[in-house]
Amino acid sequence: MSMDLLFNAVIAGLLLGGFYVAVTVGVSISFGILDIVNIAHPAFIILGSYIAYIVNQRLGLDPIVTSILVLPIFYALGALIYEVYYHSFEKRGQEALRGLAFFFGLLFITEVLLILVFGVDYRYVQAPYIEKTLRLGFVDLPLRMLVPCVVSLLMLAALQLFLSRTFTGRAIMAVSQDQLALQLMAVNPIRIKRIAFGISIATAAMAGAFLIVIGPVEPSVGREYIGRVFAICVLGGLQSLPGTVIAAMLLGVIENITSTFYGPSWAPAVAFGFLLLTLAFRPAGLLGR
Amino acid sequence: MRSIVFFFVALAVGAAAFAAALIFNNEYVFFAGYTVLHFVVLATAWNILGGYCGYVNFGSAAFFALGAYSTVFLHKTYPLPIPLLIIVGGLVSGMVGLGTGYLTLRLRGAFFAIATLALAVVLQTLVVNWDYVGGARGAYVIRPNSIAIGPWTISYMQYLFASMMVLAVIALTTARLIERSRLGYGFAAIRDDELAAEACGVPTLRLKLIATTLSGAFMGMAGAPFPYYIGYLQPSSAFGLEYAVNSIAMPMIGGTTSWVGPLVGALLLATLQQIATVTISSHLNLLIVGLLLVGFVIAAPNGIVGLVREFLRVAAPSGPDKRSVAVILLAIYAFLSGIFGIVLGLAALMSGRSGLLLAVGILALVLAVLYLASFYGLLTMQPWSPAVALAAFGLSLPLAAASIAMDHSSLRNTVLEGATVVIALFAVWMLRRQDVTALYRSNAIADLVIARTQGAAP
Repeated sequence: MSMDLLFNAVIAGLLLGGFYVAVTVGVSISFGILDIVNIAHPAFIILGSYIAYIVNQRLGLDPIVTSILVLPIFYALGALIYEVYYHSFEKRGQEALRGLAFFFGLLFITEVLLILVFGVDYRYVQAPYIEKTLRLGFVDLPLRMLVPCVVSLLMLAALQLFLSRTFTGRAIMAVSQDQLALQLMAVNPIRIKRIAFGISIATAAMAGAFLIVIGPVEPSVGREYIGRVFAICVLGGLQSLPGTVIAAMLLGVIENITSTFYGPSWAPAVAFGFLLLTLAFRPAGLLGR
Repeated sequence: MRSIVFFFVALAVGAAAFAAALIFNNEYVFFAGYTVLHFVVLATAWNILGGYCGYVNFGSAAFFALGAYSTVFLHKTYPLPIPLLIIVGGLVSGMVGLGTGYLTLRLRGAFFAIATLALAVVLQTLVVNWDYVGGARGAYVIRPNSIAIGPWTISYMQYLFASMMVLAVIALTTARLIERSRLGYGFAAIRDDELAAEACGVPTLRLKLIATTLSGAFMGMAGAPFPYYIGYLQPSSAFGLEYAVNSIAMPMIGGTTSWVGPLVGALLLATLQQIATVTISSHLNLLIVGLLLVGFVIAAPNGIVGLVREFLRVAAPSGPDKRSVAVILLAIYAFLSGIFGIVLGLAALMSGRSGLLLAVGILALVLAVLYLASFYGLLTMQPWSPAVALAAFGLSLPLAAASIAMDHSSLRNTVLEGATVVIALFAVWMLRRQDVTALYRSNAIADLVIARTQGAAP
């Protein structure tokens, strides 16, 4: 095992982990903070990838710029889904069984619709930075990994600032702890949850753009991310965004080392092993209370 | 009814179905029937954990594929007869079910659901990387032409069909037995309030582990004969989406609270899919299943069985009478016609470049929506539903007549459309009868039902 190879694998894993942050942060908000088990999140990420793909094909716009432009649409979609979820399941106390089936149905419908419209071919985008690589000594920094990683960390920093500094952000953190206290502060918890869920789906637009920048995408890729996303989210301690970053980097590095030394077809299994070990030994997560 | 009696009655019904299929003397009947039956087993297995305990398993495909791949493995090392293969598949999947349950069920329920989703991906990775069972290339399992059982020789497809029939009867009997035993009451207590159940001394972890093991084992058993059925098994077909989604959708659409629900759901959906896959693409047919799943969990959380029970409770409190049974049958007929209308409408829209076909497709879709609305409305006693149902059945009359006029060369088409006309005429007559209209006129009853089905808001 050469040191160069190992070092490069670690760096590439960190970059991959940066991308995983963007993929997971939405679930950290919906599952970690709001307690809504949105297993359809990866499907929305793939939807974001395909929107970036269409705009890139037709107008030649940069995928990441596109994803920022469609943020309001994804936010509205998320708010709408939360309304349906709230009235159909949460209000009636049926979120455990039927709410899960609802999101599974959404995951499934999105995937099948994408297959029907685009087929199962791999799709990719064009952008000036995709094929370039920075070289620092013996370390390779491919820009198609570096750009998503940096933008995703910026997005996380913005979200963390929003959650800790603004009134709405703090209300979102509070809604997971005590709804009644929030109501006493004259805040409507349902409205706060709707906003938070909208934000969590909006992050999927960005993550989708990153995904298609990093590599080609086809509709069923989303299912591979379910295990990863929830493994990172649980290991990160569910509600803690800094914990999510650490867990994402960790998984990125481990996965990359596995695929470098044992072959890429084993990589999906790593996340599950990760998830099971976490659940068995440290269910509260790395930075959990 | 005692369980033993139930078992033999169900077995007799199964044998009758087998005999009826023999009369057709068509291998395809067994082929399609096997698919329907293995979905009955899968749906029942899912329901033991999902419906009775309230724990959602998204990884049905993984358990199913484990059963299938243990057969492939044994086929290469030491071929066994089908009943033994079913037992081995059940053991393997049951062990995995126990393991997954043990690692995740001590935590909140959602973790179990997520873990099963991930399990499917990981097991698929393992199988893709395991060359002995074919890897990503897949494996051929040659099906013998026929098999001799005692004095008779039957075709292998019939043998597989019969094995799956016996397995379905066993699964249904087990589910029914659980429902009426202490085990089932314990499961129901977990589903309704796990904390309260624990506080009352229900051994929740042990019961949940029994449920995951049983449920996983039946899924594995359903998968064990699959390689012989399909002849060529590859990871993407064994871990296929249709298993994950159907095994959830069937109980949810049929109704999760009793063994009847998964049976009804599986029979309806699997039969419809057999027709739909032939008529339109298999992806479109999965899309219909997904839409039905979401529609049912939102609008009718207790499935078809729940709708019928609610209807009977209000419309015929003293036991089912002729009127209420007729309305239920009409509603179910409307449901089937509605889905069939969607299938045909989509098929026409997809293939149609000509204006006529497009018009037919759109008309079929409109009719389908009317049918589905009247199915839902009639059973939930909506005051508007007789009018909508009249519109749907009325609209179907000229359509069926036109279909006969356009294609009177095929006898089958004429008979089918003729039956549609007769049923529609009966429906119109039925819906305009005094006693039926009276049922829907009293808004007080309708409000009562709405309040009941939606539950009290906290």
